[in-house]
Amino acid sequence: MLKNYFTLAIKVLGRRKFFTFISLFGISFTLMILMLITAFFQTELGGDAPLGKKDQLVYLDYIETFKQYQDTIPKVDSTMMDGVMQYDTTGFKYEDSGRSISRGPGSIKFWTTHMEDVPFVKFRTIYTDYQSFDIFINSNKLTFSSTFTDGNFFDIYNFKFLAGKPFGNQQLENQAQVVVLSQEACKKYFGINEGTFDEAIGKEITLDRKNYTVIGVIDRVNNSFGFLKSDVFIPYTNAAPEVLNRERFNGSFSATFLAENASKTNNVKEELVKRSKVIPLPNPEQHDQLEYFPATYTERYAWTMLRMDEPEKSYKYALGALIFLLTLFFMLPTLNLINLNISRIMERSSEIGVRKAFGAHSGNILFQFVFENIVLTFIGGVIGFILAYLLLNTINGSNFLNGTILSFNYKVFIYSFLICLGFGILSGFLPAWKMSRVHIVNAIKNNQL
Amino acid sequence: MIKLENVSKIYRTKTIETVALNKINLDVVEGEFLSVMGPSGCGKSTMLNIIGLIDEPSEGSISIGPNKIKDYNGKPIAKFRNENLGFIFQSFHLINDLSVIDNVELPLLYRNGINGKERRAMAEEALTKVGLKNRMKHFPGQLSGGQKQRVAIARAIVGKPRIILADEPTGNLDSVMGNEIMDILLGLNQNDKTTIIMVTHDETMAKKTNRLVRLFDGSQVS
Repeated sequence: MLKNYFTLAIKVLGRRKFFTFISLFGISFTLMILMLITAFFQTELGGDAPLGKKDQLVYLDYIETFKQYQDTIPKVDSTMMDGVMQYDTTGFKYEDSGRSISRGPGSIKFWTTHMEDVPFVKFRTIYTDYQSFDIFINSNKLTFSSTFTDGNFFDIYNFKFLAGKPFGNQQLENQAQVVVLSQEACKKYFGINEGTFDEAIGKEITLDRKNYTVIGVIDRVNNSFGFLKSDVFIPYTNAAPEVLNRERFNGSFSATFLAENASKTNNVKEELVKRSKVIPLPNPEQHDQLEYFPATYTERYAWTMLRMDEPEKSYKYALGALIFLLTLFFMLPTLNLINLNISRIMERSSEIGVRKAFGAHSGNILFQFVFENIVLTFIGGVIGFILAYLLLNTINGSNFLNGTILSFNYKVFIYSFLICLGFGILSGFLPAWKMSRVHIVNAIKNNQL
Repeated sequence: MIKLENVSKIYRTKTIETVALNKINLDVVEGEFLSVMGPSGCGKSTMLNIIGLIDEPSEGSISIGPNKIKDYNGKPIAKFRNENLGFIFQSFHLINDLSVIDNVELPLLYRNGINGKERRAMAEEALTKVGLKNRMKHFPGQLSGGQKQRVAIARAIVGKPRIILADEPTGNLDSVMGNEIMDILLGLNQNDKTTIIMVTHDETMAKKTNRLVRLFDGSQVS
């Protein structure tokens, strides 16, 4: 029976070639975009190294100290008494007139004094954002981005090491001058090829007139997360004094907390917010309040896109917008396809009548037409898959995503497969259901076979 | 075998009531070849549809064999039609996108317990009976009218139904082809004892059958 339905499905596609083209174009284009989006989010949010523990991460990128100012505005009442205007200025009203804010990453002093032993936290790491170093090798200028960080960094971010190993707390205690290099930096600096990164281990690299020993080489990070894509990772004990600035409250370091497990991230966030109420501020006359917004990985990701006040708000808006846009993007071609399918199926009402006369019940008819539609959407899906593959290669080749490489993997394929299936069922079900209920006599009277 | 008792079919709209069939009583014996004649619009096809269980009477009852038909919807009636009834239409109603053999196999797709090989064998047997086995890979568009109707007959008999309902089977054919079709139907009736009810405008064809029923304005006149 399925072979019969499949044969018929292919034949029906060939009947009205223009409609078939419209249907296939709608399906393949929609699926191509959906596959691209799926591949993008799989790459960004999928949890590949070094974000294997992303579900346990809580971020604090900046802290904000502020003081709320109020204006005292006299309230003037006026009354006419004995022909003379009298004024009463004894009332006052208060309005917020603004904030004095200091916002930025925290200092080492802030993190090590106030952010130790946070409940539900397994590890905490601090790190700077990109800092650039210009290096000249044989008169060629290389610009390396670098991140200064601590010994817990590689416990939280599970980079894949191609050679050597990470530095830890011991190296920081010893103020060791060591670095971990990205494979690209290794290739550029040492001219080392793939598969021979072990040769770089123990070699020296000069950054900002300081010599460091290479102790590890990491694989390329396939993500748009800024500081993780640095060329060089250096223990922060080697940073310049102004970066370290051990006395101030604000500084150059953001933090990531690794919760004990994924279910504890909200607990960590709550604990951090509680702490903000009790941390003593260095200059309360200037700034008397502390505020910050801990964020999970996905909240932080949304915040980097939308830049709203709070990461949680950014996440909700981003999720809402994404669901709305995807629903719209998905529903429009589905509705179009339903419309096309209704007119296609109406042409075959006589065939339906004959099938029912010879013993098909409504369920058989429904199954047949949904099956045919699934065949159509799968053909569209294959075309969409090929188009998406070509487009992905084009995007990757053009470096449009600044080094992030989108790729297909089995998860993307399964999501796309399910989308394809859902599309086929959704767009075929309603027209098929409608036609399965047509009265046999009325259906047969339509002589268009 | 087939019994219609006071069967009426009335079409009602908001303003008009049309009586397509008016209290028809009919008994058809097993193995009988019955013709139904009458002017256009007299209710011949309506009666055939009701006997074929593809339309429901407004009044009265119909029995086929020991089964008094009560419910005209759902899987049980579809199964009953599949196992007991075969249809031949004036306009053939073959599916142009399927080959001859696939068209003939169609009723067997909805019958449980028959695998692909058995279906194919039964379809070939039916096509042999109508003399078209050599055309089984052809498509309806490649056949003449008479050949199409023979394929339709093969489709109607492939499941070995007890009753065949033919609605003007020779209506779209010339006299030569019409006679060929009639010969096949007569052969089925005489050799296989299949009960056949045929609606026709053609007196010559009707005279070849066992009995003739005439309808006029929805009522049986003879």
